[in-house]
Amino acid sequence: MRILLAEDDPMIGASVGRGLRQDGFAVDWVEDGRAAEAALGERVHDAIVLDLGLPRRTGLEVLGGMRRGGDTRPVLILTARDAVADRVAGLDAGADDYLVKPFDLDELSARLRALLRRGAGRAEPVLAHGEVELFPATREARFKGEPLSLSPREFALLEALIARPGAILSRVQLEDKLYGWADPVESNAVEVHIHALRRKLGADFIRNVRGVGWMVARPAPAQA
Amino acid sequence: MRSIRRELLVWLLLGLALGVAAAAVGTYLRAREEANALFDHQLEEMVASLTDAPFAPASGGAGGGGAGDDALVVQIWDRNGVQLYLSQPQRVLPKRAQLGFTNVHTDEGDWRVFSALAGNQVLQVAQPMHARRALAASMALRTIVPLLAMLPALGLLIWLIIAQGLKPLQRVAAAVARRSPTALEPLPERELPSEVQPLVQALNALLARLREALSAQRTFIADAAHELRTPLTAVHLQAQLAERATTDAERRGALADLKSGLERATRLSEQLLTLAREEPGVAERPVAPIDLHALARDVIRELAPLASAKSIDLGLIEPSAPGQPIVSGDVGALSTLVSNLIDNAVRYSPARGRVDVSALRDADRVVLTVRDTGPGIPPDERSRVFDRFYRGAHAENGSERGSGLGLAIVKRIAERHGAEIVLGEGIDGAGLGVTVRFPAAAA
Repeated sequence: MRILLAEDDPMIGASVGRGLRQDGFAVDWVEDGRAAEAALGERVHDAIVLDLGLPRRTGLEVLGGMRRGGDTRPVLILTARDAVADRVAGLDAGADDYLVKPFDLDELSARLRALLRRGAGRAEPVLAHGEVELFPATREARFKGEPLSLSPREFALLEALIARPGAILSRVQLEDKLYGWADPVESNAVEVHIHALRRKLGADFIRNVRGVGWMVARPAPAQA
Repeated sequence: MRSIRRELLVWLLLGLALGVAAAAVGTYLRAREEANALFDHQLEEMVASLTDAPFAPASGGAGGGGAGDDALVVQIWDRNGVQLYLSQPQRVLPKRAQLGFTNVHTDEGDWRVFSALAGNQVLQVAQPMHARRALAASMALRTIVPLLAMLPALGLLIWLIIAQGLKPLQRVAAAVARRSPTALEPLPERELPSEVQPLVQALNALLARLREALSAQRTFIADAAHELRTPLTAVHLQAQLAERATTDAERRGALADLKSGLERATRLSEQLLTLAREEPGVAERPVAPIDLHALARDVIRELAPLASAKSIDLGLIEPSAPGQPIVSGDVGALSTLVSNLIDNAVRYSPARGRVDVSALRDADRVVLTVRDTGPGIPPDERSRVFDRFYRGAHAENGSERGSGLGLAIVKRIAERHGAEIVLGEGIDGAGLGVTVRFPAAAA
């Protein structure tokens, strides 16, 4: 899952970015409102962590612009003001959740996972597909009820595919889920990870649509 | 304690008493005048009635002795000056007489004497003056006694009237006393007597100023709390990352970050404290003559390591003009001012930049300038950079990110020293040049 972090304080931004990456998110960090809007335009992020006190364009302005433009991606606002009015303003402007500074990294990750889950229409904290279960909170996976060992990138890749069963994700789309701008993208990394996943889950679990991308099959009867 | 009511009562009663006394004196004088006229007439009448019959020579001791003090004394002489008659021999009266009215002073007091010639005899009637005075005094007394009797009643009346008159003051006092320290709305000014109105208006003006000061203070505290939250949040996150670290290298890195986060939080709290200390009216600091050139040299010595770490050429320009750049001020505050300006210049200048500092005497001013080769401040932002917690857009890029307090502190200190700050261009038209003009200390 790829997160856009809009935070103007260098220390907070660096720490949140590092913490979220440790929790398995791909993170892009921007330091002002204009840059946040530019990044949102790329439509590669799954959720936005938005500080309200951004320079150039405030968090509320960015949020308002998003919602007016029909962008419904989950937004979690960070605010240093704990006045109820500020939080209400943020929520009314279309935020899905908020955290008051200072906040806890674990709480931020948990809330982001909940937002992403709800954004995908799931209430339960487990992603399940066939015999594969993913627990985003703990980065644990199970296959046929047995613990399955996955690298963070493998987990992220599988998570992206399972989140949209039946949809074909291109290599670029998958890379977007795996890497922030700052991360060096290894060539063929997606293929390497897919190969590893197939070895662990069986060749049929992830299907290759040649020249287009990869998908996990929609479990037809169960989805009716 | 002084009391308007008591003072008014005392002075009004005193005034009244003086009035009564004046009335008494007036009555007395007037009455005495009338008594004089009346008694003089009586004396004349008496002498006239005595001239009807001649008198035989007085035999010593004869006469109606034992008459009262107030009684008239009659003397009769013959043409040769032989006393024929003396009504009260024990009285000592002059033996000779001047015709008409005279005032005579004897050991027994003042006498009013009327003498007239009747045939061969001189008739003289004398009356003691104290009789007249007594009459006048009793008349005066009769006039003032009722007034004096009324004084206590008048006093009470005055007491009550003053109380009534002072009621608006008490209402104002009660209204002020009921206030909580945070209730700074103006007091009602309607239906107040014109004497109390200025007081209430002055109070309201004070309340308005207090309200402004309090709201500025509240804003400052809210801003300060907000600003402190940012570095504290960073420290909180950095501490969490240090906890999460699994390898020694990670932990070392996280702890180094945590340390710099703590340094930032400490610096901010120190700056907030400096700003609070520079609030007008907080404390009077000793003022001494200070050589700004020497002060700038000390500050540059302190900041040299910071500058050399960025390979910035930081230097002090020797004054070309004669005259000592001496200002009168608080040495601690002025060091902070100079240090903040140079620190800003060094922080925001790119590596291998240059920062020039100078302090020189210009007529009746001492001019401190700090010029750099940094990004400068666009003219439309220049008035706002002195606001607390204002950070220009230019200050956002790069790793240098100030607290937004440095220039606010500089401004406060400059204001306190009667100095003006002008932001302009830096070295060779690039960067920022800060000019602070102090009034020169009197030589």
